[in-house]
Amino acid sequence: MGRYETIRLSHGSGGRLTADLVRDIFADAFASEPLAALTDAAVLENPGGRLAFTTDAHSVAPWRFPGGDIGRLAVAGTVNDLAVMGARPRYLSAAFLLEEGFRLDDLAEVARSMKRTADEAGVIIVAGDTKVVERGKGDGIYIATAGVGFVPEGRDIGPHRLAAGGVLLVNGTLGDHGLAVMAARQGLDAGSDLRSDVAPLASLVEALLRAVPATRFLRDLTRGGLAAVANEMVEGRAIGVRVFDAEVPLSADVVEMSEMLGIDPMVAANEGKLLAVVAPEDADAALAAMRAHPLGRSAAVIGDILVQPAGMALVETAYGSRRVLEMPVEEQLPRIC
Amino acid sequence: MSGRAHPPRGGPGPAAANAVLRGEAFRDPRLVAALARRIGSAVAELGRPVTLMHICGTHEHALGRFALRDLLPEGLTLLAGPGCPVCVCDSALIDAAIGLASVPGVMLASFGDMLAVPGGLPLRGEARGDVRMSLLSARARGATVRTVNSIFEAAELARAHPQREVVFFSVGFETTVVATAALLLRRPPTNLSILEANYYTPPATGLLPTLPGFAVDGMLLPGHAAAVTGTAVYRGLAAAGIACTVTGFEPADMLAGVAALLQQLLEGVARIDNSYRRVVAPEGNLRALAELTEVFEPAPRRWRGIADIPDSGFDLRPAFRRHSARTRFPDAFQAHAEAAQEHPAGCRCADVTLGRITPDACPLFGRRCTPDSPYGPCMVSHEGTCRAWQAYGMRHGRIAVRTA
Repeated sequence: MGRYETIRLSHGSGGRLTADLVRDIFADAFASEPLAALTDAAVLENPGGRLAFTTDAHSVAPWRFPGGDIGRLAVAGTVNDLAVMGARPRYLSAAFLLEEGFRLDDLAEVARSMKRTADEAGVIIVAGDTKVVERGKGDGIYIATAGVGFVPEGRDIGPHRLAAGGVLLVNGTLGDHGLAVMAARQGLDAGSDLRSDVAPLASLVEALLRAVPATRFLRDLTRGGLAAVANEMVEGRAIGVRVFDAEVPLSADVVEMSEMLGIDPMVAANEGKLLAVVAPEDADAALAAMRAHPLGRSAAVIGDILVQPAGMALVETAYGSRRVLEMPVEEQLPRIC
Repeated sequence: MSGRAHPPRGGPGPAAANAVLRGEAFRDPRLVAALARRIGSAVAELGRPVTLMHICGTHEHALGRFALRDLLPEGLTLLAGPGCPVCVCDSALIDAAIGLASVPGVMLASFGDMLAVPGGLPLRGEARGDVRMSLLSARARGATVRTVNSIFEAAELARAHPQREVVFFSVGFETTVVATAALLLRRPPTNLSILEANYYTPPATGLLPTLPGFAVDGMLLPGHAAAVTGTAVYRGLAAAGIACTVTGFEPADMLAGVAALLQQLLEGVARIDNSYRRVVAPEGNLRALAELTEVFEPAPRRWRGIADIPDSGFDLRPAFRRHSARTRFPDAFQAHAEAAQEHPAGCRCADVTLGRITPDACPLFGRRCTPDSPYGPCMVSHEGTCRAWQAYGMRHGRIAVRTA
């Protein structure tokens, strides 16, 4: 891999070291024809349908965390944003901001992880860019990805289809990513089985839409978790959302860590979970389709859409009492007593 | 947090063995329902309105998270009293912390809860009314402030930065001061000092019955504080005719505490019961108390916006005073403001803290004062009543739903 073990400023200069980096790491790992052509832009086939296009920047510390790494996150994050719009994700670009001193073998590991995740999702990485920042001016590695997918005819998924009576499902346990990363950050991950759930959900969405083409709404439950999405659903609409506390799937490890850190799993981030809303008569079929998929084994019906109170997201406890599920406040301060 | 009442489907995970220790048995819906029924019939039997109070931020969180007030009958009011160490922390101590963090070479280590709490000094260049300096705004202006989760992390900081002076802002009640004492007894780094801001609650709660308008029939005593101090320190409350019981933090714990208080009211007695026997011994934690007494002595403290209360705080004893920030950096400490001006103008934190009003009675609550942009301390700290009310939407009371 050239003469260096770590990233130098010259790796981002556009000169020979940049070319080495692209050839030895990215072109090699991504094994993508459009990328290997090393042209200024990828020229791609259009399979038809409406175009879905999104972008997402990724920074996570530590970049390698239990259950994944920033490469898998950067691919899955963009793939999932496309998939929950009903699009079939197809092409990805990736821009890397690397800190001087970042190890080249770590970069190769990230690139291989991206390729594996892209293969899982059925997308190809067709374009890329690299810039290097001085030591101390970055967190090792940041990755921005953009993605293109195509929405087949007849799919109509979105908030305009939210209506009272709709049934809420999730494809599995909540909070795993957020709590795994938080635990790793605080050095609490040793001896814990907590793993990030980071995964591309494109094939799960396809399976769900095959079983229930009339699926009304899909959202991936990333930052802010279920609480943020539930609040976005009701914001400015004449509906309420009710989540049944005891039905929300949580792993025992997430429960334990959330108690220890004082962080609500409903607020914690997920990177391989989505919320689906279907008509009540479709709920059983949707649940069965999710549970038949490897990424939906612990799927559950967790709530419903209400007529009243409008504009509010609620939690109904196992005792039948109800509280508000508030929009999360960004900073998570540790409790002191 | 999710109020899980049973383990997730698909079988118990590796953590299930600790389920009872973690209190999951005390979330059992059948147990909770049975206790709620008992409470309902006791209130009916009493045949008069009953007002109870707890004095612990963690109790208010449990009430919010599990929406437990929904389960209490009409005629039973459960108030939140002074249970937030951040909210009662003297504004002069926050100003001192800001002053210390601004001393060249000093690194101030604080719990995250303290960072956004406004002190007494005005924030210069701020146009939105009575906005005060906090450690966060001081840090934005160049002060050195680090967030820690315990004094042990502050000691690690001190060891990692031997050329700096690390000051730990020792905020908290009698529960957290125990950790400070333990550390100071075990070869603390010489460049570590503490800003003594721990409050001792029994002298303050003992004053509550003397306040005009105080009409509380019974009090839920905080389980983790009593686990340290034992139960006898609260006997003044019982002597003043207030039913008391030490109470834990799970839904069944809290309802069991309420039921125990109602039982005393039915019997016409006021004593100190223990509804949290699995954790609290009547004599407290003798070893922790011995360490606490070795390191600290009682001292008067200003309860923010409330009063100066004798013996309601902890100062280092002379043998440990070399670790006092007040001794090391006397210039960073200034005189108190007037108690009435300690909270920002219009902030009713003091009334909320004393249980005189509920947060929704404050005109700033949820409008000018939110968790994103807190105006008073009760909205900053997770222990604060306003923060809990906002986090769980408690101003809505019982929420009725209509389905399609």
